[in-house]
Amino acid sequence: MKINRRESIKGALGVAAGGLLGPAINIGSAQAQSRAETLRHVMGAVFTSLDPTLQGATRESFPLSVNIYDRLGSFARKPVPGGLSFDFDNIRGELAERIDRASDGLSFTFHIRQGATWHDGSPVTTDDIQWSLARAVTAQSLAKAQMANGSMTSTDQFKVVGERQIEVKLSRPDRLGLATFCVPFIPMFNSKLAKKHATADDPWAIAWLKENTAGGGAYTIESNRPGQQVVLKRNDNWKNSEDGKLPFFQRIIIQTIPDVSSRASLLERGDADLTLDAAASDIPGIEQRGKAKVIGLPQSNSFQCIAFNTLIEPFNNRLVRAAIAAALPYEDMFKAAMFGRGEPLFGATWETPTHSAMPQKMPLQYDLDKAKALLKEAGLANGFKTTFSFPTSASASVEPMAALIKESLAKLGIDVTVQKLPDAQLTTQVVERRLQMFFDFGTSWLPTPDYTTRVFFSGTGRWNASGWNDPEVAKLVGEARYETDKAVYDAKMLEIVKRAQRDVPVALLWHPAHDAVIAKNIEGYTYWFHRGADYRDLKRT
Amino acid sequence: MRAVITIAHHTARRFLASIPALLGVLVFTFLMMRVLPGDPAVFFASDPNAGPEEIEQMRKTLGLDRPLPVQMAYYFRDIATGNLGRSMTTGQPVVTDLAERLPASLELTVTALVLALSLALPLGVLAALYPGTLLDHAVRFVCSLGVCVPTFVSGLVLIYVFYVILGIAPDPTGRLGAFDAPPPGITGLLLVDFLIVGDFESWRSALSQLILPASTMALFVLAPLARMTRASMLAVLGSDFIRTAHSLGLSRRKVIITYGLRNALLPVITITGVVFSTMLGANVLVEKVFAWPGVGSYALDALLASDYAPVQGFVLLMASVFVLVNLTVDTLYGIADPRVTIE
Repeated sequence: MKINRRESIKGALGVAAGGLLGPAINIGSAQAQSRAETLRHVMGAVFTSLDPTLQGATRESFPLSVNIYDRLGSFARKPVPGGLSFDFDNIRGELAERIDRASDGLSFTFHIRQGATWHDGSPVTTDDIQWSLARAVTAQSLAKAQMANGSMTSTDQFKVVGERQIEVKLSRPDRLGLATFCVPFIPMFNSKLAKKHATADDPWAIAWLKENTAGGGAYTIESNRPGQQVVLKRNDNWKNSEDGKLPFFQRIIIQTIPDVSSRASLLERGDADLTLDAAASDIPGIEQRGKAKVIGLPQSNSFQCIAFNTLIEPFNNRLVRAAIAAALPYEDMFKAAMFGRGEPLFGATWETPTHSAMPQKMPLQYDLDKAKALLKEAGLANGFKTTFSFPTSASASVEPMAALIKESLAKLGIDVTVQKLPDAQLTTQVVERRLQMFFDFGTSWLPTPDYTTRVFFSGTGRWNASGWNDPEVAKLVGEARYETDKAVYDAKMLEIVKRAQRDVPVALLWHPAHDAVIAKNIEGYTYWFHRGADYRDLKRT
Repeated sequence: MRAVITIAHHTARRFLASIPALLGVLVFTFLMMRVLPGDPAVFFASDPNAGPEEIEQMRKTLGLDRPLPVQMAYYFRDIATGNLGRSMTTGQPVVTDLAERLPASLELTVTALVLALSLALPLGVLAALYPGTLLDHAVRFVCSLGVCVPTFVSGLVLIYVFYVILGIAPDPTGRLGAFDAPPPGITGLLLVDFLIVGDFESWRSALSQLILPASTMALFVLAPLARMTRASMLAVLGSDFIRTAHSLGLSRRKVIITYGLRNALLPVITITGVVFSTMLGANVLVEKVFAWPGVGSYALDALLASDYAPVQGFVLLMASVFVLVNLTVDTLYGIADPRVTIE
């Protein structure tokens, strides 16, 4: 009897263990045919809005919008070492089949593609375009500021000049004018559909467009489970691609998988096709095992840096900033934080800049003697106490870097407390200028040197992290914006670079790598300024 | 009939009594969220083009420009009308989010708890029957291991073994395979829903998605349940009435299960209630590792983003769940031991 019961319990345990192992070996077998034409993209983040122009929309909503909506124009693609990238200097029409540019840079004419339709089958008319442009400059959304960046602020600037022609007039030859029509913030809406859902309080249907779409792009939304999964279906009537052909993939499944190592295993097991947010530390292993391929390109329009709060003691002294910038072990940090992936913005050998790009590779090098001399000159030969802060979301890469910084600065007598803050708290403290020294980053969609300077190195906004306020830079950058003579523009930018070199408001580190882990049989992945995947580029071979 | 009326009466009284506690929790969470550093308006309006004007506009949209008491008054008014606000992290109304995610958490927790109890009770009883033997030590070892290994480690190990190496578990990506049909959405509990619509293939798929995360959670709570069963069983088995039962020649089975286990159950039920509530809200790590769309990870994400509404909604939900669980536990006491009445 004793044995019997023991046996029966053993049996029960056996059943329980069998339950663990038994079921579901049939993954994916049911729809093998359509699997080849389905792309499964796994990511850590969620979409908060289908309208990317809404404040609070996550950056994943930018590429989503690009695949669902067309814009008037788009950037062409170009080969770069290691893959393909968007070509900022080459703008083509998207919903417009042709773009005429006036030679004085003060107007553009968009010719809407003949026979273009919206997802509901209705034709694209100039009314739709005019409504979409008016929404961009009028509605309370991020599109408004984006349009202002391209010197477009009033509906008077858009005029229908033919059956399918819309003319846009600028008051000044803004170098971002035309490029503005290529960004995710300026999608073209099916105005008849959107207007049906507009209310007196919400004339631009902002609330409705947050959860619904009214576009005509390459994909439509088949299903949307917020926070979990979005499924896109190809729009077989779409005509606005580079070569006039339909995209390869018929369905796109975009799934949120919070755990980073799960995403990597899915790719390596062949169950998923694409992830853009693998851990930097996993990339070398994935490359070595070769079960999935890695396309790593530097994010040419993005940079990371150590920012110094130039508004408080002792960082208001440029000698202190220069001293710390000379005491950062750049090479080791690059290896520890980025595993050597990306493109360094330190270690240049020039003494006076010859190149007008901003940001660019700066002559920052690890030189402890120079750092000691600078600190002595600043009257702080005995060092001081400070904190180095960074956001939780960046901790995987910044934490190892923080240890190196602390160790290195200790040699100057600078006692660094490392402080990890939740992102919301860090952002708040940056705005309130309460941090001392911290990790920061910046991305500009339209990376002209003057725009990057305007946002990240002047003014009082969140993104001028160091609070650097050089009146001469502010003046130069304002002039450069509308400068049409390339030589004059370059001269102004060179002066700005020179001042940034002298003042060291931030220690520029690198362009981080954009690592796309992708199934081995998928071709065509392109790096876009919005740092997301354009599914229209991809095909399975 | 009288028993049912009594239970209904007690239930109603318990609910009324819990209202002040719920209100207290609401006020506390409301204030705590606002005391925390981190300004949601600044965080959510962090586009490179966003200046002070955009931040102000965001503050207005969020209603954070009003004085605190006014905000609180609005908050209570909204709760009374069933509106918990809107989450900035998912872009959805909090009620919708919670309604979607609570069934996911419930399904996982209940499965894990059933699994854990079905192992813990026999193991605990066995350990109590043979204290100090190899068996007892083996049970203690298994329990210690379960409680010592953090859930994200055991979860990752299970994924590595059963998904990556053996390939017999489905990909650990939530409640359904990516290529499966969407859930019917009747009760939100997938196993129940697929049974109702008679879709057995999807039912199997949902079950196979559930097994690894449920096992991970079950391993972790095995220890308190098994140890409590053992301790309680030991005390009961040493008592006079068991000796009497033995001396009267009752079968060993009857003595241990009917007289022993039943009397030993009260503390086990108590700990089960506590374990259940904790599992439901605090198993963020399991949810994260298995991409399980539960309430715990939802609240954590919101907290990190200083997103007030979901955190407040979550705390309210959990407080209500606690009230319900306690009530259930009290009712179960009465069933396990008729001498106990709820007062």
